[in-house]
Amino acid sequence: MSADTRQGAMSLQPSYYDALRRLTLELAGVHLGDNHAFLVETRLSRLARGQGFDSLEAMVNELFMKGASRLALQIVSALTERDTHFFKDETAFKRLREIVLPDLHRKRGGGRVQLLSFGCASGQEAYGMAMTAYDMRKELDELKVDIVAVDYPSQVLERAKNGRYTHFDVQRGLPIQKLITHFDSVDSDWVVKDHIKEMVEFKETHLLSKLDELDDFHAVMFCGSLPHYSAPARVRVLRGLTNLVKDHGYLILGEGESLSQMNFGFDRVDNQQGIYIKREVIIEPEIDPDLKVHNGRTSFQKAKVIRKSLT
Amino acid sequence: MKTCLIVDDSRMIRRVAGRIVKDLGFETVEAINGQDALDKCLIEMPHAILVDWAMPVMDGFDFVKKLRASPQGDKPIVVFCTSVRDVQRIVEALAAGADEYIMKPFDSDIIESKFALAGLV
Repeated sequence: MSADTRQGAMSLQPSYYDALRRLTLELAGVHLGDNHAFLVETRLSRLARGQGFDSLEAMVNELFMKGASRLALQIVSALTERDTHFFKDETAFKRLREIVLPDLHRKRGGGRVQLLSFGCASGQEAYGMAMTAYDMRKELDELKVDIVAVDYPSQVLERAKNGRYTHFDVQRGLPIQKLITHFDSVDSDWVVKDHIKEMVEFKETHLLSKLDELDDFHAVMFCGSLPHYSAPARVRVLRGLTNLVKDHGYLILGEGESLSQMNFGFDRVDNQQGIYIKREVIIEPEIDPDLKVHNGRTSFQKAKVIRKSLT
Repeated sequence: MKTCLIVDDSRMIRRVAGRIVKDLGFETVEAINGQDALDKCLIEMPHAILVDWAMPVMDGFDFVKKLRASPQGDKPIVVFCTSVRDVQRIVEALAAGADEYIMKPFDSDIIESKFALAGLV
């Protein structure tokens, strides 16, 4: 089937659409609606052309015939992409600024603070975190923050790495003072300055299954995606994510999002919804069988207690 | 109802911006240059002002400086809305007393976002 020219989008037969819906649910745990066919065609057309396919069917055939895993992730990423902008979740950033960074800076005694932007899409959240931390250096002496931002491989993630945004991107949610402080005007676009770029490392990651490849973090920000996951995928992603948070570290969710009935070893901060602190995990004492007390039994009191900490 | 003064020498821009601002819940007043805007502020100080930079008679930069020096002139939230995108000029606009800055072309999302950042919506 050759490409049509309807608003630049290639068309897709219903059976192919159903196959892509199943793929998206399986790989990303996200339900695509019944009536999103045109949206799917629009989003995938750009990817198909970029990959050199004449039609969407050709791309989907390649995917299912050859089991092209990277292509599958790129397709899923394109299908689950959501509109975002700088500082989209104001409450989450307020918590980062007022609770999380001051507390971690104090607990870390000025040591480096590692943050994760989970599902970073085109990078606005990660760069927003970096700008927030950078602008707090005066009040939090010597605050040093490193940010890792992860998402599926995609053109959007490549754009995030470049840190280049349009005139429209930088005017939604980004205060003018932050724009002129942290961006350079280049041609008709705006590019994130090096002092912010250097704080952020973008990584391609399968958000449901490859989290063990990541380090642990002092705080994780995961905003706006949770409601889109199917129930089993929600549990899976939260379990994976919460394992990435160091003890006494923070999990920041989006407005109206919560861990609901599952706590994964976290407590709410000040009983607020959407911000959680991880309890300290005390690993069961390692018992030295040779360590005996006078009655011949093993001494639990003398056994070494291992604690995971924020260090 | 809150009022927004829209200052631009282009009737089309005043009309487009006016429609967007009305949708945000404002009553709108129009002025065709900085002097006209100052006169209207003397009659009634608006809650918000959306002002272009380059205009005949009095430009937006001079208007903002004079507004801020006038009685009650510190009250309105001033948002520049202009084609000028040079960083140095933006810095000057903020120093003169602007609260936010919109670069043309704009759409309703941008105006809403900037008004939200300025605490207007």
